[in-house]
Amino acid sequence: MSQRRAVITGVGAVSAFGIGFAALEKGLLAGRSAIGPIRNFDASTFPTRVAGEVPVVQTNAAFITDQLDVFLRSGEADRWERSGLLRDRKVCFGLLAATEAFLHAGCTAEERRAALSLGLGLEQAFLDDLAGEYVDGRMRIGAGAEAGGEGIRFRSRVDLCAQKIRSVLRLSGRIVVHVSACAAGGMAVAHAAAMIERGQADVVLCGGSDSMVNPLGVGGMSRLSAPSPRAEASACRPFDRRRDGLVMGEGAAVFVVEEESRALARGASPLARILGWASTQDAYRATAPRPDGSRARAAMERAVRRAKLQPSDIGYINAHGTGTPLNDVAEAKAIRGLFGDVPVSSIKGAIGHLMAAAGAIELAACLLPLTHDVLPGTAHFEEPDPECPVDVIGQTPRIARVDHVLSNSFGFGGQNVSLVLGRVE
Amino acid sequence: MTKRPAQMAVTGFSLRTPLGDDVDTIAQRLLSGERAGGPNPRFDARTYPCQLAAAIASDPKPSKHRKFIKRMGLFGMEVGVEAFNRAQRSIRGPRLGLFCGYGGLRAHWDDLMPVLERQDGSVDARESWTRGFSLLHPFWMLFHLSNNAHALLSIQLNATGDGTTTAGSNAGAQALQAAAAALEVGSIDTALVFSYDSLVEPETMLSLGVAGATTSEESVEAVRAPYGPGASGFIPSEAAAAIVLEKPESAEGRTIALLSATASADGHDGFADGSCLAQSLSVVASGDSLVDGAGLAQYELDAAEREAIANVLGNEASLISTAASLGQMGAATPLVQAILLSHFLAKKTLPPIAGLTAPAAGPLRPLTSRTSTDFRSAVALACGMPGLVGAVRVELP
Repeated sequence: MSQRRAVITGVGAVSAFGIGFAALEKGLLAGRSAIGPIRNFDASTFPTRVAGEVPVVQTNAAFITDQLDVFLRSGEADRWERSGLLRDRKVCFGLLAATEAFLHAGCTAEERRAALSLGLGLEQAFLDDLAGEYVDGRMRIGAGAEAGGEGIRFRSRVDLCAQKIRSVLRLSGRIVVHVSACAAGGMAVAHAAAMIERGQADVVLCGGSDSMVNPLGVGGMSRLSAPSPRAEASACRPFDRRRDGLVMGEGAAVFVVEEESRALARGASPLARILGWASTQDAYRATAPRPDGSRARAAMERAVRRAKLQPSDIGYINAHGTGTPLNDVAEAKAIRGLFGDVPVSSIKGAIGHLMAAAGAIELAACLLPLTHDVLPGTAHFEEPDPECPVDVIGQTPRIARVDHVLSNSFGFGGQNVSLVLGRVE
Repeated sequence: MTKRPAQMAVTGFSLRTPLGDDVDTIAQRLLSGERAGGPNPRFDARTYPCQLAAAIASDPKPSKHRKFIKRMGLFGMEVGVEAFNRAQRSIRGPRLGLFCGYGGLRAHWDDLMPVLERQDGSVDARESWTRGFSLLHPFWMLFHLSNNAHALLSIQLNATGDGTTTAGSNAGAQALQAAAAALEVGSIDTALVFSYDSLVEPETMLSLGVAGATTSEESVEAVRAPYGPGASGFIPSEAAAAIVLEKPESAEGRTIALLSATASADGHDGFADGSCLAQSLSVVASGDSLVDGAGLAQYELDAAEREAIANVLGNEASLISTAASLGQMGAATPLVQAILLSHFLAKKTLPPIAGLTAPAAGPLRPLTSRTSTDFRSAVALACGMPGLVGAVRVELP
């Protein structure tokens, strides 16, 4: 039996650099940072006041119609706005990224049989809704007029984004929704590649979408003290000696992943091969990575082995690189121990931590080395940390030709996933 | 395209349902035709479209995680540990994988009350930090993470192999499928799959009620059983269940049942249509003559389901419905079905469809009384919105 292999034939992205993969590509190639003050709500009294926010203040019917018009049924966007679902920004970002990927890959009616594998963030709840219904010490949640359409009055359902993507693109394959926190996007792409390799699907749309840049998200993360206390554009400095926390981001990245021979037969142009993937768990602490990075290393090691490569074949690593004191040390140790002096960068300094979508948007960044011979830089990295003994690419992207790249995503509680991409000859 | 899912050995299980916390008790109550449910014990639902609910009667056991994880997550962790212990596997570390089917967040506002109270009715978030957020437990965000039970259970069991948390109303089937895939490629030797879900909390009760999926009857006795004439909605329920899977060749002498699973979807906002059900069933079915139906208790949906099942298993297949007794358990359903079906096959006795005296006309043989059986295998369907389906097959070793 011939080996089935997964290739990426289309990509769509929404990030702090703007809507579209081209905006992400342009921002990363220029070595820019898109971190800035939060604009979609008044965060002036919050400890965290900066984010990698998508430059769209309000996601509403006009916005979604403008972006997706040809895909929408008559009146659909207005109905969504009335039901409140467009307030969940990750639903909008996921839709935009998915439609872009679908068009980019040149998908036709045949590809509508695609499965969907998405990494999604928390159910979106709305402080203003909740506060308005709190009366006399209890939540006023009743039937009839107070009932929520589509169940989104007080929160959006966890898989709402997947459902809407499937509906808009009229896909007919299965849906898999990964919710492994910050590893979810990477898990979703790995799952897609596995489905292709195992013959469970020929085409899969996969990736992640998330937004926690809202009062409950920013408030909750601030209580956790995960974000940098500095309300500055340089707040997130992965691997820098002075790093003091992450910056929240939002956005989405979606890929069209296909079986290679099928993709070539229909005339698609593969951007990269997905050669290897693996997941592991730290089983250490809920709020801290395993300090020696051993299970993160195991994920990378297994992904490289699955790709039938040697560690020395990997020419670039896109690190999880959150800019938190603990993550970067553990990850750097793991990388150093397995790969030695390989170039490493994290794009979280430029666009923030996209949480459940982080693995997806960072895999999109991994296309740059394979299509432009450019290794993305690490925004705001200035002072190397002896505790992070890796070759960190600084703010300026590095020009280099590499054939294989690896991307890491590590989630809350120690869920790790690594993916290996290869150049298409 | 479809590929037959790999069959794995079940070597341990555990569950919590509204009819009990161990399989013998639950099975006995199903064989007696008992139905779970009553006035919603979780909150005052008297103004809701559906006032009935089937809730787990017991409380989670005392746990050091109680402060950091919600009630259903605690049940999920409990059954996970119990299933693992019953499988008598000493294996830990990188060859033990953990797979979670997460139903969704419920009643998330209860520990937000300090913030909401101090908002004083204002919907303006601007001052919410000083008004209350700064008072919340630092781990408030972690309480609500979809994978928190997974993370804590992996720590408790030292499971450092493959793992993921999937979501949606068929998440239990997704998790079973992901576990089987990891076992099949050999990256782990043992997979602990657990799933938990509750449909009896306010937001879910509302959305199910608005969708017309739940019963509007005021007593369990008045609720029409699935597959009967006039069925008009189900009783929302909740459950937690866990199953330990291994490769069959590794579990000789310890195999409780062989299991395969698939998860699928169609494009509907409501429940999946008959073609999706038939397609899902055909992926796992292999000469089976017994099915545990989804039992949505809506006349048209039930009829479509029976047609779909008959298209795959034939008109004479026997039909039971654990949902008729236990209510709809969301993401946890496929695991509960697999555990109970394995038990009924081993005991050679099948339960009646609770509350059903005269089935509506249609294909299949809905069981209306306790029945002896020699079947060695069975399939089960579970449905949830939006258009999600889980299908499992169990076979005695």
